[in-house]
Amino acid sequence: MKIKYIPLLLALLLMLTGCGQRVPEQTSQIFAMDTVMDFYAVGDGAEDVLVEAAQEINRLEALLSRTRQGSEVYILNETGSAALSQETAQLLRDALTYAEITGGAFDITVAPLVDAWDIHGDDPRVPDDAEIAGLLTLVGSGHLHLTDGSAALDAGCAIDLGGIAKGYASDVVARLYRERGIQGGWISLGGNVYAHGTKPDGSLWNVAIRDPNDPAATAAMVQLSNEFAVTSGGYQRYFTAADGTVYQHILDPKTGRPAESDLLSVTIVAKNGTLADAYSTALYVMGEAEAVSFQSAHRAEFDMVLITADSRILYTPGLAGRISCQEGGRYELCALS
Amino acid sequence: MNSVPSPELRPRLWDALVVLAVALLAIGSAVWFYGGLGGHEDAAVVITHQGTEIARFPLSPISSTREVVIDGTYHLTVTSDGEQVWVSASDCPTQDCVRTGAISRPGQSIVCLPEQVIVKLVGTGDGPDLVIG
Repeated sequence: MKIKYIPLLLALLLMLTGCGQRVPEQTSQIFAMDTVMDFYAVGDGAEDVLVEAAQEINRLEALLSRTRQGSEVYILNETGSAALSQETAQLLRDALTYAEITGGAFDITVAPLVDAWDIHGDDPRVPDDAEIAGLLTLVGSGHLHLTDGSAALDAGCAIDLGGIAKGYASDVVARLYRERGIQGGWISLGGNVYAHGTKPDGSLWNVAIRDPNDPAATAAMVQLSNEFAVTSGGYQRYFTAADGTVYQHILDPKTGRPAESDLLSVTIVAKNGTLADAYSTALYVMGEAEAVSFQSAHRAEFDMVLITADSRILYTPGLAGRISCQEGGRYELCALS
Repeated sequence: MNSVPSPELRPRLWDALVVLAVALLAIGSAVWFYGGLGGHEDAAVVITHQGTEIARFPLSPISSTREVVIDGTYHLTVTSDGEQVWVSASDCPTQDCVRTGAISRPGQSIVCLPEQVIVKLVGTGDGPDLVIG
């Protein structure tokens, strides 16, 4: 072989590197639905789909927000009745279904109690027993009446879709990703995540679950593809009263008080973002024993990761081989049967 | 027809070295091009305020302590000691940003919703793609 062939070989090498064309990728971030939302898409049309995603989120917030004047939910709460779009009506029907399935552990009519505690707001407080007892009479699915194209609430009642709206929004954006042929990516709407396809190298997306005892650290990692994951935990938002008592933000619709759960967080993994959102709240309220029993009866619908107050991480069989936690760390990883 | 190659066409040690060098170059270029090596970088702190990036600096042990003050409806102070970054002070009503504590790995973030501030660590590292909870 002669020296003169070396340039030819180098030229071939250059052509080889030119064969690989970078696939377009795009990220975006918006504040909506009282949280920060991040989007990442890989594939042709990634930029366009993220513009559409933001438009869809804004459209849904305009329908479902209880604080935005003119939204269907705002009108329903303020006037006691409202004409509903098909989309809002269907979401309310779904919410009532989840309330029934979970035995009331998930309940969108908990709004009057949410307002009284104001744990998400600027002026959180502890209502007294009499006030809570009075407000509990306004809670329950029977206070919401759905008919074709409209809804009505009993006097004094209100709904709050904070436990389901972001899950529904993640379903809508996930559908956009699929319909636009996006190869891979993810969306993160606060605690609601959808992992689409795979990473460019073909591997699954690594989704870390925050450590409830140390929000700057992570407790476990799950690998996902074409699945939603939603985490609920009392540590996410809370306030400390003057006497030092800590009140976390997830209310038990039966007691009217912050849920006294033996769980620190519940992560639901499912093919349906709305379901995952509703069940993550409900199973946190239920506590470990009832949550395990509930999942066992609905195992075809979802998998879950429970982080318990006694430092165990429980996971269901569908996540076997896809979940890990730091060896020798704070938590013990335990498989449920 | 003579099937025996002439002496000058027989492979020599020099030829093998050239082939080896070209192969190594090809592998190295491919790895770099597809992000295997080119993707690694030190973690960097990125701070955005109401959608606009207002600060970006490396998070490395040789960095000195640094503070970024954000003034809006509320006032936040973001502090970095080179190994981690945290919101050291805020007068926002929820205090979620302060309670989050210090972050140190790419992919982690601190969010202040009332003031729409996000402190994020970027860089490839070996961190997760997403963090929930």
